[in-house]
Amino acid sequence: MIDEICFSTALLEGAQEVFETMVFMDLEECSEAELQIEGDSLLGSITFSNAIEGCLAIRCDLSCAKVIAVNMLGLDPAEEISDEEIYDAIGEITNMVMGSVKSRAATETGELQVSIPTVVRGQNIANSLGDRASNVVVKASADEEHLIEFSFLYRDSDG
Amino acid sequence: MAKSLMIVDDSATMRKIIMRTVRMSGLEFERTEEAGNGVEALEKLSADPVDVVLCDINMPEMSGTEVVKKVREMPACADTKIIMVSTESSQELIDGLMADGANGYITKPFTPEKFQEKLSPLMN
Repeated sequence: MIDEICFSTALLEGAQEVFETMVFMDLEECSEAELQIEGDSLLGSITFSNAIEGCLAIRCDLSCAKVIAVNMLGLDPAEEISDEEIYDAIGEITNMVMGSVKSRAATETGELQVSIPTVVRGQNIANSLGDRASNVVVKASADEEHLIEFSFLYRDSDG
Repeated sequence: MAKSLMIVDDSATMRKIIMRTVRMSGLEFERTEEAGNGVEALEKLSADPVDVVLCDINMPEMSGTEVVKKVREMPACADTKIIMVSTESSQELIDGLMADGANGYITKPFTPEKFQEKLSPLMN
């Protein structure tokens, strides 16, 4: 099994790169592990496979998701934005963070094949991969205002 | 000077972001087109070729890799420059795309400066 610290570092650094470049927000890791995302949230997920398999996910509340989409599209905060655009933005961010993590962890994981991202809405939602899986979770604050949870759920491939 | 641009990406949001980033780079195009997948892109290109195509790789229906091969079979697009824009960054994949006829590669996340660097040499 690959060292979880490797994925934790790749996840945080990859997310920071994407958020600084595409969302124009600074991400700082939260030391308060008990911080939770309350109410409805969006969960963007993308699966990967090869030597390891699993999924990378990003979860944030609806107001944070809207800020992310508005920033990515360069809109005025007062401008109308559709749910479809918000979901699409979260899917794209998930895709880009996966790409960034993938290249950072390539030495340990080898080349990973990734899927197209999906986004769902709900309360206390999370991905599951059974008992044999490891889950690396990084909580971060965006612009010291929004809580975003990044997770990297993985296990060794059977094949 | 390149006058027309097509952005091919299955995400409408990403198409808008790429368009905005191209504008921020200072590059100007007289005509811009969008396509939500490879099939739509080929239909539009066969009817009205463009100077530059910015193309995603991982798309449903037809991948960007396949789009490059198909465009290179179209005589009307012989002078069309194709720049891939994707999160995929393996050198093997990039080499394969260049061998198939792509003219450049931009990795997501990207900056306006990256578009300027990759597109400017193709626009003269």
